[in-house]
Parts: sequence; structure tokens; C-alpha cells
Amino acid sequence: MNEAEAIRLFKCLSDKSRIQILKSLAIEDMYVERLSERLGLSAPTISFHLKKLSDAGAVTSYKSQYYMMYSLNQNIFKISILDILKEQSDEADLQQQRDIEYRQKVIDTFFEYGKLKSIPAQQKKKRIVLEVIAQAFEYDRIYSEREVNILIANFHDDFCTIRRDMVGEKILNRDTRGYWRIK
Amino acid sequence: MMKTKIDQFISWLDGQAADCENKKKKLLEDDRIDESVFEKIKINVYDIFRTILLAGEKSSNGDAQKLKEFFLLKLEQIPAHWIASYNKAKQNDDIEKMQIESLKLDTVQAIRAKFLQNWEEKA
Repeated sequence: MNEAEAIRLFKCLSDKSRIQILKSLAIEDMYVERLSERLGLSAPTISFHLKKLSDAGAVTSYKSQYYMMYSLNQNIFKISILDILKEQSDEADLQQQRDIEYRQKVIDTFFEYGKLKSIPAQQKKKRIVLEVIAQAFEYDRIYSEREVNILIANFHDDFCTIRRDMVGEKILNRDTRGYWRIK
Repeated sequence: MMKTKIDQFISWLDGQAADCENKKKKLLEDDRIDESVFEKIKINVYDIFRTILLAGEKSSNGDAQKLKEFFLLKLEQIPAHWIASYNKAKQNDDIEKMQIESLKLDTVQAIRAKFLQNWEEKA
């Protein structure tokens, strides 16, 4: 478990309701309504906490007849805190980790369900957003302007601005044949 | 009479917000941070409609029917975006967002029911 994963897990665990859910799941696998009755919390609140626990890797789920059952991810709790603390992390790794986290934060802020909410004004953030859109383009393939527009329009209506920005940022290149993704 | 109804309703909104504030504090003390945020969300909804009611009072110039129509319209218009957001979250299985939008919508429903009850009652 790397530092970022450990921090995410610890943050997730610093909540009494989530600890109560994990304690219940330590006894046996349970479904949302059962946890809801047991802990006196509403089913949507339980689902909310289970989603957070699941994202942090603390619980897993599986389908059983009509129910989605949740179980404790025993493996993650077998890792000792000392092992996490002993894990080597040099400055380059940490910087890379910070970059990844920053990138993810920008993506989470500007994208919602795969759609771009707005074009960032800040250059650094715009670059990240354009790189995400660029993933829709294959390498070694020439696209017509119409194809480029359609692909970008899947993310945002202002495909003209984004297309121009992608060329300006040297993410896409173009000539008389069309556009292609720069490696 | 209209003033009395407004005062009664404002008093109810303030009471609801105060209850949520108490719950929020208790949840925070109990290390249930996310659930305390849920209470804060409800407080915000009560605050929004408190502000709207007072704005409606000013613009309606003492016309009770006008104020009622204005407030009921806002009770439809403002949550419309939350309903859209809830549906979008549901389509994408975004449980966190569904929970938040659902809390806001439940609070609006409670406000609407209380407003109608309060408005139909004799002052």
C-alpha cells in the first residue's frame, strides 16, 4: 500500500459510522438494509458510507440473489501500520504522487460523468483537460475535421475552441490531410 | 394576517435549522463527519427559502396571494436543478451525489408541506 492509498484509507476510517459498518461486516457479510436496521442509519446513508469504504478498498461487494452483499476486505486490514510506515518513498516518487493527485483533482473538478463542465482558464489545468480529451484519439490515425469535432463534442459543445487549443498545445497536429494525435 | 403567517413560517424555518445545527454539532462530536455535512446541507436549504420568503414579502407589497404564488413557484424552480442533478447521478450510479441531492429534495418537500399547511391555517 503506497502513501496515497494509506492516507485515503485512514481518512475514510476516521468516521464513527464507517467504523460501525466495518465492525458489523467483521461479523458477517451484510446487505444495505440489514446494516441500516442494525446501526439505526437510513439506507441511503449506509450506501453513501459503503461507497466511500469501497473506494478506499476497505470493503468489497458481490451479488447474492436479490441483494448486493458487502464484505470486509480482510487483506487490507492484515497490512500492519508499521509496514506502511516502513515503505520507502523517495522525493521523486512523492513528487510524482503529488502530480498524479493534482491531475486527478483537476479532472474531478472539470469533468462530470465524462463531460467537460467548463474549459479551465488556467493554462496548466487546461493542458490536463485537453490531455484527457486527447485520449479519445488514436495514435497513427488521420482524422478529418468533422471527425475531430464529433469526438470533442462528446466532451463539450465548444469543440472549435477545444480543437484549436489542442493544436496550439501541440496535442494534435494538422496539415492538408487532416488532424492526428502527437506522440 | 399575512405578516403573522410569515413570522410563523420564518420561526418554523429557524427552528428546523436550529435542530439541524444541534444534530450537526452532536454528529461532529461523535466523529460522524459526513453525516454532520448532511445536516449542514439541510440548514443551507432552510436558509435559501428563508431568504426567498423575505424577498417575496418585499416584492408582494402585502398581497398574500401574490406571495404564496411567488413562494410556491420558487419551491418548484429552485429544486428543478437538484432533480436533474439527482437523475444524472442515478444514471451514473453516483451514490454520494444521489444522497446529497436527495437530502435537499426531501428538505424542500418538508418546507413546501409546512408552507401550505401554514398558509391555509387561520392566523
